[in-house]
Amino acid sequence: MIRIENLHKTYRAADGREVQALADIDLEIAGGEVFGIIGRSGAGKSTLIRTLNLLERPSSGRVLIDGEDITRLDREALYALRRRIGMIFQHFNLLNAKTVAQNIDWPLKATGHGNAVERAARVAELLELVGLAEHGHKYPAQLSGGQKQRVGIARALANRPRLLLCDEATSALDPETTQSILRLLLDINRQLGLTIVLITHEMQVIRTICDRVAVIDGGRIVESGKVADVFLHPQHAVTRSMVAQSDALAAASLDPAHAYMSDKLRGTLVRLTYLGDVTYQPILSRIMAGARVQVTILQGEVSSIKDVPFGQLLLELEGGEEAIRAVFAELDRHRIHHEVLQ
Amino acid sequence: MDLSVIDWSDIWQATWETLVMTGVSLLFTVLLGLPLGILLFVTARRQLLEQRALYVVLSFVVNVLRSVPFLILLIVMIPVTVILIGTSLGVEGAIPPLVVGTAPFFARLVENVLREVDRGVIEACQAMGIRTSRIIFGALLPEALPGLIAAVTVTAITLMSYAAMSGVIGGGGLGDLAIRFGYQRFQTEVMVITVVLLVVLVQFIQYAGDRLVLYFTRK
Repeated sequence: MIRIENLHKTYRAADGREVQALADIDLEIAGGEVFGIIGRSGAGKSTLIRTLNLLERPSSGRVLIDGEDITRLDREALYALRRRIGMIFQHFNLLNAKTVAQNIDWPLKATGHGNAVERAARVAELLELVGLAEHGHKYPAQLSGGQKQRVGIARALANRPRLLLCDEATSALDPETTQSILRLLLDINRQLGLTIVLITHEMQVIRTICDRVAVIDGGRIVESGKVADVFLHPQHAVTRSMVAQSDALAAASLDPAHAYMSDKLRGTLVRLTYLGDVTYQPILSRIMAGARVQVTILQGEVSSIKDVPFGQLLLELEGGEEAIRAVFAELDRHRIHHEVLQ
Repeated sequence: MDLSVIDWSDIWQATWETLVMTGVSLLFTVLLGLPLGILLFVTARRQLLEQRALYVVLSFVVNVLRSVPFLILLIVMIPVTVILIGTSLGVEGAIPPLVVGTAPFFARLVENVLREVDRGVIEACQAMGIRTSRIIFGALLPEALPGLIAAVTVTAITLMSYAAMSGVIGGGGLGDLAIRFGYQRFQTEVMVITVVLLVVLVQFIQYAGDRLVLYFTRK
């Protein structure tokens, strides 16, 4: 659905220097998927998502949406394109002078979409969808952050877009509200088949709703792929440190020597990673029952990435080299990824 | 102080004239200043319709007009006023210099008020594919309404004091009365009464403006 080719963006800073915000960006996003872009602040993720509706014009490169290079659109075509793309924002950006219902109606009214009766019906439908049916007459200032973002979502969906851009949509919300907004986005993605592109600095957001992720650092994409792969086997240092922030296990296992005082370790330090149904099967117990190996679980996490269960365990194995090798062979047979850390 | 020397019908006549001068000039000031202020805002750097050259020219003209002291402007404007409305005296004669003196001031206030509108809100409208003119009139101005009312209030009060000043060139109203009777004929009572009336009028305008701002504030 979206293809970004060789995208570059340079700014001229206030002091006249050229600042490279984005470089060599190549990205492909499929219809119906939830695609996350994660990076630290200043990494260029905000600039990147804003090139998708040309709020930010790239210096060079192409942005193709449904095969059409949007950087070549004339003004009228750009208006039409933007009407097919919804966008929500970190600070909601609602119109304070309009009620909730008027805010949702605004993109319809201002783009000459239907008569008053049709629009009112659409607004009611959207209020229902985001769970704010009783709040249509209120002003944004009377709502909580989570409710404001729900209005933002309803407004973004008013013109029935096929693509929704989320610019740090949950960064101003508390963790509980973040979860409820993410659930709403996921529902919308499934019910309406909407493609969602989101940017965030929180791994938790990526882990909860994204199918694929790109990690951006210094204006370049340093790693991308399925969330489970990137999350469980981070390759790039930036990814590792970002995974570490969301997860104590990863933080500890990044540097086992530091975390466990290596001289106290007698055996082999191994990290197991597994995904899917195997998470809920007693495989480890079976393997260990037949092996002449002592196992100590030092740390571990069993959770899920989007809907896929996964486990990650840090084990100390004590036993003969032969016995341990046999355990590894069994793990391989069950497709449990293992990595010897020490 | 002997209030019996005061001719009250003169006072009420002059109060009415002051109100008319202020009201009519305010109307024209807003009619000229609001579009000018909007134009200043949208053509400025990194704004909706960035037009460097136009902004620089408009900004320069506004600054020039604002740097002329009002008393000087009153005198300089006399021939222009005569051409425009046939006389430079009385209530009518005061209105053109009042408008020329305050419209640039009001335009700057409007520009500043519009700058206070959250950029993100405007950007959200752009992301929706809404035309710029529609964004200005349907989102920008309604969002700025309380600030615009406050700007009109400040301008109305400035106009009232300028209107009193126009008494110097025979402009009519309370200022004219204060100068002719209070100053030139040494009737202190008239001076005191006109000042008291001006104070009351200013207080009232400010109060009404504040109430309106409050009424339209949704934050």
